[in-house]
Amino acid sequence: MSALGTLTNTQFKVFLREPIAVFFGLVFPVLVLVVIGTVFPGASEPNAELGGRSLVDIYAPISIILGLATVAMIFLPSVLGGERERGVLRRFSTTPVHPRILVTVHLLVQFVVVAIGMVAAVLVSILVFDLSFPESAAWFVISFVLGSASLLSVGLLIGALVPTASSGQGIGMFLYFPLLFFAGVYIPLEVMPQGVRTVSGFTPSGAAVQALSDSWAGAVPEVSSLVVMAVYAVVAGSLAVRLFRWD
Amino acid sequence: MPVIEVGGLTKSYDDETVVDDVSFSVEEGEIFAILGPNGAGKTTTVESIAGLRTPDSGRVAVFGFDPIVDRDEVRSLLGIQLQESRFQDRVTVSEILEAFASLYPDPLDIVILLKRLGLDDKADTQYRRLSGGQQQRVSIAVALVGQPRAVILDELTTGLDPQARREAWGLVEELRDSGVTVLLVTHFMEEAERLADRLALIDRGHLVALDTPQGLIDSVGLEQRIRFTTSDPVEDDWLARLPEVTSVARSNGEIVITGSDKMLFSIVSLLDRHEIVPIRFQVEQTTLDDAFVAITGRRLDSTEDAEVTS
Repeated sequence: MSALGTLTNTQFKVFLREPIAVFFGLVFPVLVLVVIGTVFPGASEPNAELGGRSLVDIYAPISIILGLATVAMIFLPSVLGGERERGVLRRFSTTPVHPRILVTVHLLVQFVVVAIGMVAAVLVSILVFDLSFPESAAWFVISFVLGSASLLSVGLLIGALVPTASSGQGIGMFLYFPLLFFAGVYIPLEVMPQGVRTVSGFTPSGAAVQALSDSWAGAVPEVSSLVVMAVYAVVAGSLAVRLFRWD
Repeated sequence: MPVIEVGGLTKSYDDETVVDDVSFSVEEGEIFAILGPNGAGKTTTVESIAGLRTPDSGRVAVFGFDPIVDRDEVRSLLGIQLQESRFQDRVTVSEILEAFASLYPDPLDIVILLKRLGLDDKADTQYRRLSGGQQQRVSIAVALVGQPRAVILDELTTGLDPQARREAWGLVEELRDSGVTVLLVTHFMEEAERLADRLALIDRGHLVALDTPQGLIDSVGLEQRIRFTTSDPVEDDWLARLPEVTSVARSNGEIVITGSDKMLFSIVSLLDRHEIVPIRFQVEQTTLDDAFVAITGRRLDSTEDAEVTS
């Protein structure tokens, strides 16, 4: 098997051995959706206060972004900081292959993890709460890929610089909670003041939730949401590539 | 052609010269040690050889290749065990080796490699569950998996308990016997004395000696010391008159004699002529440690040494 294949395979197995990572990256987002959908009375009914949408409608895309943000802000920076802290990146520098292969592998693995989380959230929404299959499926996939690219790039930028696993996690946390807020995890965006909703649209998590909601409902996502995600992905991603510390 | 050639290597960080005009060469099939106290510039020297640092001036060649320019050639011929390198907690031993094997064109068979390092029963064990000695062996295995013709082992036994340290030493000797050239970096005298065919002594960035361990000890011309007690009283004067002896002293009822390394026979014959039997006769060998003190006027940081000899 090629180096990329072998490393990806190994790192995926290593991810699955971390109970905390599996719980918060894969199980927790779906669990949140299930709890909200079953605990609140009438969560599946359209609600006038929520702009005619049901609570489950609103939280299905939010739960996807919750998993994505957890992986991108908490796990990715901590994994990359850990590789630097343990000297694994330096160790790769002594082989015929550049350590960027290891960074690529971590990005790939984390993307696969969030993709699984996304599929799980969609399946639960359909099977448990009778939501429709995302109606603009192509736009839904594009929105998800752009959202992942933007948040993972921000995580990659943190991971490019932090010296240790714990500092990666610390700085990630610092961005994680505001990102969750602007994604509408605590209070749905629908009931937030207009000013907050405007700011939310300029954050990668807020833009991603917006784009996923729109495409799920069958609309074409706002151009602004797509542009915001693309800009984060390109700017944070290229900064990360330029600033990455290999030892 | 030497395996590794270093000529006039100089490297500074923030105006501080950590390696200053160091030159030596490592020949095929030998164990060559770079010995010196912590902070002497040993690691910077080997990192320059490995192509991880760019020297300010001087020349480095590994099998004739430049480590910076001919990066790939050097990295496929040279295995490197870095100081303080660890792996992820939950990755197993065989997964680590499969991962690194996949980075080389012609890797060793992992099963055979693990067997050789005594790790075959740990193949499926996660890294965090290994002892310090086992983790160190994994690190050596990673340095060897690409079938290098030479390896750099930086502070191989630091932090190991005495038994694990001895096992690691056995491993290095096996490596040399299998034809791999070994460049060993250590601040630990006993290690260099036991393993090295030749050594470079580095102090404060300077190369202060380059010799075999015994040659280095002989070159400083230190005197030998012999201690014993006797069955019957001996006149100090008899011993002092021997031409090889320079001093005679008494300490805790023992006679302590210093002199040239040829005094042993004269002392024993003298005692024999007087029909006196020496008891608890001890010849104290001059060690590399003594030689280091003689050359630099300082002792090595010896906390580690004490731990092992106690």
